[in-house]
Amino acid sequence: MMTEFKVDASNCDKEPIHILGKIQGHGFLIGVNSKDQLIHYISENTAAFINDDPAKFLGKHIGEIEGRMNISNYGNELKLSQIITLGLGNGFESLNPFYIEVGGTPYNLIIKNAAAILLLEFEPCNVKGEFDVQKTIGRSISTILAESSLHSMFETAALEIKKIIQYDRVMIYQFGEDGHGEVVAEEKNSDLKPFLGMHYPASDIPTQARELYKINLPRILADVNMDCPSIIGNPKLEAPLDLTHSVLRAVSPIHIQYLKNMGVAASFSISLLSHGELWGLVACHNYSPKFIDYRAREAAKLIGQILSPALEYRLGEEDSEKFGLLNQSVSTLIKFIEKESDIVSALTSNAVTINNVCSSTGAVLVFDNKITGIGVTPSNDEVKDIVKWVIDNSQDMVFYTHRFPAIYPTAEKYSDFASGLFACILSRELSEMILFFKPEQKQNIVWGGNPEKAVMAATDGSLQLSPRKSFDKWTETVRRTSEKWSRGEIAALINLREQVIYQINRMANEIRQLNERLKLAYEELDTFSFTVSHDLRTPLSSIKSYAELLLLTNQSLDDNAKKMLERINACSDRMALLIKEILNYSSYSRSEIKLEKIDMRQLIEGVKAEIYESVHPQTLEFNIGPSPDISGDAIMIEQVFANLLGNAVKYSSNLGNAVVRIEGYVSGEETIYTVADNGIGIDVKYYNRVFELFKRMDNAKDFEGTGVGLAIVKRIVEKHKGRIWFESQLGKGTTFYVSFNNEPVE
Amino acid sequence: MSLSNKVDIFLVEDNEDFSFLIEKAIDHIDKDLSIKIVDNGLTALEVLNCYSQEGTRPRIILLDLNLPGLSGLDLLREIKGINFFKQVPIILFTTSDNPKDVRSATEYGANAYVTKPHGYVALIACLRSLFNFWFTHHTTID
Repeated sequence: MMTEFKVDASNCDKEPIHILGKIQGHGFLIGVNSKDQLIHYISENTAAFINDDPAKFLGKHIGEIEGRMNISNYGNELKLSQIITLGLGNGFESLNPFYIEVGGTPYNLIIKNAAAILLLEFEPCNVKGEFDVQKTIGRSISTILAESSLHSMFETAALEIKKIIQYDRVMIYQFGEDGHGEVVAEEKNSDLKPFLGMHYPASDIPTQARELYKINLPRILADVNMDCPSIIGNPKLEAPLDLTHSVLRAVSPIHIQYLKNMGVAASFSISLLSHGELWGLVACHNYSPKFIDYRAREAAKLIGQILSPALEYRLGEEDSEKFGLLNQSVSTLIKFIEKESDIVSALTSNAVTINNVCSSTGAVLVFDNKITGIGVTPSNDEVKDIVKWVIDNSQDMVFYTHRFPAIYPTAEKYSDFASGLFACILSRELSEMILFFKPEQKQNIVWGGNPEKAVMAATDGSLQLSPRKSFDKWTETVRRTSEKWSRGEIAALINLREQVIYQINRMANEIRQLNERLKLAYEELDTFSFTVSHDLRTPLSSIKSYAELLLLTNQSLDDNAKKMLERINACSDRMALLIKEILNYSSYSRSEIKLEKIDMRQLIEGVKAEIYESVHPQTLEFNIGPSPDISGDAIMIEQVFANLLGNAVKYSSNLGNAVVRIEGYVSGEETIYTVADNGIGIDVKYYNRVFELFKRMDNAKDFEGTGVGLAIVKRIVEKHKGRIWFESQLGKGTTFYVSFNNEPVE
Repeated sequence: MSLSNKVDIFLVEDNEDFSFLIEKAIDHIDKDLSIKIVDNGLTALEVLNCYSQEGTRPRIILLDLNLPGLSGLDLLREIKGINFFKQVPIILFTTSDNPKDVRSATEYGANAYVTKPHGYVALIACLRSLFNFWFTHHTTID
């Protein structure tokens, strides 16, 4: 006995339709072991052909039942066992079907090899139509392939298939991404209501049926009202017969009910595959029972098989056409980048922008800490949130959806212009990306019946899957959904991303190289200034010497001439000082630092002593606060504080109550020293030039100096990987801050 | 200037200005001091070789560091190799204050290393103290 399956809504996906144990009543089936040809399964309706109980033949050789069936072959007198041997040797696919007569009626015998069991299926044969089908098929195929567009190809295919199978209605049915289907082409008798453009919910064709559709390309249900004979099996065998490959396999009662509800009496379908996936179906309905002969089914199957690769090719062709068009914009944008070297401006400010690469109505470039939008886009703050969301939620570098508000509810606010989102991540670390938006496209979907009501409660109250009865047009308005991102657009945007990233990397490399060159140039400049300064000293000395010589030895000089010679002297002294400082400055950048622990208290006292010795300040208050030790190059660090303290003393020396204070403190990983004075201060307008070479403030004119000191200080501090900054108020004083790493790195 | 028996100061210096100024300064210090100036390291060596043959011994030799023909340091080593000049003080008189040059000069046997002073007045002072030391206090050479 076969197991009875009670099918309800909870297990409809698991309904084991391949082992139903029933076949369609227009034919009969015998299952034999392929080795010993003993009968293991037999359909109960075989009784009519043998005038006996088929169960009696279980375990018997196929030859025994053959004698009871009055089978005769046309022309060749092959026994069933001989046909089987022949098929096992050559493959049944190429030999099917075998023409035979059973009790004088023409039959097609179709043999399929299902594991160890051979299915021998006998179904009626239409001898008359055979010739016509052979003739039609070639013509049909060339007509279909001659069509220029995918759509007209579908229409022609429907027409040609209708000619071959002569059903009332032939539809090309396309599956969407979510599994629901749409009738995209239809050929029907003129008295029928059109189904063209109608959508059908995914539940109309359950998942496991789709899997079977990939194996059995053509399927027929000749009469929805016909009784389905059971298959009798050898009780010793536990496994019910696998009818996956059977041509007579009975159809799921649910599907039969579904068809009945639609008013359909016979149905035939051919699978359309694209890249190995079920792309759609040729679905054929007849409103009265109608069997299709094996040959005609095979012809229709052939059309389906030819349609599939053509479909793939045409889809690819239409994609690549669109891609080619969009990619021209990508090429233009990349040329802009190559020319402009400013990514943001290149992608957003020309005649062609990122908003022209796909059919977006808004695009945003988030790059280099800037948000640049074109067209209609969410606000910068909203974009920031989107960027964060994309980074958090997308594993891939490219993310797209045509129903953004459904997964990101915040987007409902701006769903009218941003229901579709395409994000190309340029850098995850920097949260840089390009976003493309598509507006909401209110879409009216016409369902062949309300898809929400596919499952209904049964009369007994249990939730039984009952195929829907209503196929009335039901229009649904879909909101917060944009037009889909086409394959051409996706390809173009992915290409754009790759190209932009390549350009960014190229430019980063160029900057790196420029940096290297700049470094070299700096080094050269150091060497240059050292050499030049050095060489300047000799002639400068001579100038001064001649001036002095003249002054000393030439008695005829008047006072005016003497004054001028003295100016020459003074100027060359000044120049000699500058040269000395430049040499000093460049020598600090040239020399390596030798790190050692420095006794800061001692160093500061030393500097203080030197200052007192050279400038003899009269009223100065010189405070030394806490002086934590630091690590550094002793000579250089001394230079730093000699300059800072020297400046502090110098620029407050005009005061009667000058106070200079130095102190240090440890702050985290740094030791920070402050040098404060209550002197003349630094004017705000000079703030960013304080550390530049030879820059002296207006209010410092009355004080001696070359403008090199702070530049040297900054160089030394930077060489120690430390930092220097200052606070100042004009007329009130200046405080310099110098920080050194507690664990210095060279 | 023809070779004469008396040469107080032998200067090797390729800078015309400096030679001129030194000449002036020496004249200023003491009109009786005689000076011989050569502007090339190799020529200087030739002249000194002649000196050693005819028995002319300068009281002091001043060498610039950067010289055409033969560098100041090489010239220093050559002169130190001539027995006749063993007792003559050789002073490096140069603009370079590079410690490396100072060290080499000392290693090669220079008696002093003096950086050229800035200006004529300073030059006179410098030379005066130099002569004062080497001519007056340090008389063992004669």
